[in-house]
Amino acid sequence: MTSSEVAALHSTTAPPAGLHVLPRSIPEAFAALTPIASALLDSSFHILQVSARYLTFNNLTSDECIGRNVFDLVKSKALVPGLVSLQLAIDRAIETKNVSVTSTSEYRDGRPFYASLRAVPIFEHDVLLYMLLEVQDNTAEHDRRVTLNDQLDTNDTYKVLVDTVKDYAIFMLDTKGNVRTWNAGAALLKGYKPEEIIGKHFSIFYGEEDKIAEKPRKELEICLRESKVEDEGWRYKKDGSRFWANVTITCVVRNGVHIGFSKVTRDLTERKAAESRVVAAYEESSKLKSAFLANTSHEIRTPLHGMLSALTLLMDTSLTPEQRELGSIIEESGSVLLQVINDILDYSKLSSGVFSIMTDVPVSIPALITSIVRGIQPSLKPRVTLGTNLGPNLPTTALGDPLRYRQVLQNLVANAVKFTESGSINIDASLVEEDASTYTVRTEITDTGIGIKDVAIASLFTPFTQFDASATKRYRGTGLGLSICKSLAELMGGAISFHPNPNGQGSVFWFTVKLHKINARNQVDRLSAKFVASTLSPVPDSLTLVRELAPGKRILLAEDNFINQKVMLMMLKGLGFGKVDIAVDGAEAVDRAKRNPLFYDLILMDVSMPVLDGVSATIQIRELGIETPIIAMTANAIKEDVTSYLARGMNDYVPKPVDRKVLLKAFLRWLK
Amino acid sequence: MPDSTRREAEDRSEEGSVSLPDLGDSIDAVTFEQILEMDDDEDDREFSRSIVFGFFEQAEQTFKKMDDALKAGDLAELSSLGHFLKGSSATLGLTKVKDSCEKIQHYGQKKDEAGTADEPDEKKCLERIEETLVAVKEEYAEVEKVLKKFYGS
Repeated sequence: MTSSEVAALHSTTAPPAGLHVLPRSIPEAFAALTPIASALLDSSFHILQVSARYLTFNNLTSDECIGRNVFDLVKSKALVPGLVSLQLAIDRAIETKNVSVTSTSEYRDGRPFYASLRAVPIFEHDVLLYMLLEVQDNTAEHDRRVTLNDQLDTNDTYKVLVDTVKDYAIFMLDTKGNVRTWNAGAALLKGYKPEEIIGKHFSIFYGEEDKIAEKPRKELEICLRESKVEDEGWRYKKDGSRFWANVTITCVVRNGVHIGFSKVTRDLTERKAAESRVVAAYEESSKLKSAFLANTSHEIRTPLHGMLSALTLLMDTSLTPEQRELGSIIEESGSVLLQVINDILDYSKLSSGVFSIMTDVPVSIPALITSIVRGIQPSLKPRVTLGTNLGPNLPTTALGDPLRYRQVLQNLVANAVKFTESGSINIDASLVEEDASTYTVRTEITDTGIGIKDVAIASLFTPFTQFDASATKRYRGTGLGLSICKSLAELMGGAISFHPNPNGQGSVFWFTVKLHKINARNQVDRLSAKFVASTLSPVPDSLTLVRELAPGKRILLAEDNFINQKVMLMMLKGLGFGKVDIAVDGAEAVDRAKRNPLFYDLILMDVSMPVLDGVSATIQIRELGIETPIIAMTANAIKEDVTSYLARGMNDYVPKPVDRKVLLKAFLRWLK
Repeated sequence: MPDSTRREAEDRSEEGSVSLPDLGDSIDAVTFEQILEMDDDEDDREFSRSIVFGFFEQAEQTFKKMDDALKAGDLAELSSLGHFLKGSSATLGLTKVKDSCEKIQHYGQKKDEAGTADEPDEKKCLERIEETLVAVKEEYAEVEKVLKKFYGS
């Protein structure tokens, strides 16, 4: 602003044309009309002009203000905003040579007062000429915003919802696993009041065994890895009583930063009790049914045997052709009935779980097939040929249950013979899989018979179904044969299946069985323990489980001593890991892990290595954000060492010399 | 965890899985059998043979390096060599050699035999290593003889 312009401030303003307003000077207009409390100061902060609003706001008269130093005025009249805000606003405006706005919250007449103080400096070159001060009262607006904020705070809304839930314990954990919030449901379920539990670690809800197994820590780890973890198990209340709980832990991330976990716990005690009552009732009734079937079948079989024996004697006497004809019908029906009853007996034994399978009787598959072919040859229809094809690598001797293998094959071949009017029946047997202790043999029966309609395929192995009611008349049977075969195949560690003959007419049935190698006594003993006849699905041991997991998994082995490298490689190979890379020191391990962060499924890390040791390598790998499980291998079996490895990002520890069983368990923990 | 390992090792030795000639008390049967089980063919034992003879070579080279390091009074190098040979001898179950290597590792770190207490006197550490080195070479010679006999060479 030039001096001439300042002079103009004091001259008369020309009202816009057409408006009949009394002419006012600029100071008059400023004083009367500025819609905000304003004061114009000179360079020494003496008041030149004040607006009417300023006077009413501060309850002053014009004479009290004009010509006075603004600081003195504010101080003597204890005006609000006070000296501190005023000084700040003016200093900042001068310093920046620009408008400065200072927000203040003070007390005015004993009530909260929110205002912004605007200081407008008016410079000519570097010389301060004037300063315009404006005070804006924001109290009303501030109050409104506070109300609005309360409404907008959705967290509060959810908090109310969560707090009122009584059937679920819902609470938050911080990143370390300490309890941060506690709802009514949690207080009811676990018995702790909020003030007793907040800040405590959530492992307090776990039993001793879980704590020793570090389950709480592992759950959080898994949760971090997979963002959510669900678990069922015993949890403990404040009074020490336990309940069966379903727990869901979810990782909570805000703006990309992990801030904690949410945990929802449900009491399943009642449901579990109800479930076990239902299961018990079902098992009881199923057992009763099977026992009933077995008893009745047995009771029927005894008189039937008597009847058939008597019939044989009767048939040897002199009969008229008509009597002989009738007699042979009774004989035929009787033998079918006997077969039906035998099937039912087998089936009821299988389904009640008292059926036992041998695992240690020598079996020769070629000999068994030859014997069955020989036995069935006479019942072949005239235009049907029966062929066999035995695979070259088929084991001639192994251990298993020859009787049950024969039963399955006999049943399938008999079916093929029964339903094939012309063409061929072929039995193919081959070795499909072999590991250190077992052979898996597949036997396939192909016929050119009537085949099986698509609609019937799904229920083929279901008990008591025959795929065609009309066929029952022509081809008599119980409808149990295939379901018995299925159970037997499964008991022998295999499976059974059907598909139509790819060459057009007919069926292909195949089944597999596992046989044990004779020279691997150890494995046989171990496996046979699992083949307790009463269980249809044996629980596999850790070796089997790891071998199932191994194919396709990539392992990085960091080990400097080549003797240990060779032994570990061989051990891994024996477990079925075909893809193992070797790093000869920690630096190479970091390098390989870095090159393709998702490449390896697991890293086996020796601790002491040249160039870079295993612990430092682990730290570097973790710093790169690579989360591949790392298992430490070391002869330093001191507990503190182990703890420090885990603290530095390793996941597990295997002592040296590496014992295969210990390694297997570690693999099972980290290769899922 | 070391406890459970020991327990499992005992379980396995009860099974008496592989029958082997007596290898003496300087070889841990359970650990060595684990290596033997990796052989495809029990007659030529190609894999375990290559491991064992590879170890002979490694041990002799390491002893030579230890002799040199002892002359130079290089405790850190001695410790690291001790650790190195400890690893492979542990893998083969050569218990005595492993234990002695561990002692050398500890002495080299200026610690006592068990690695628990400090031993600031470097001269004393070097003397102890010299003694242990003589002992470990004898122990090695013993297992070498047993193993060479086992592999029939």
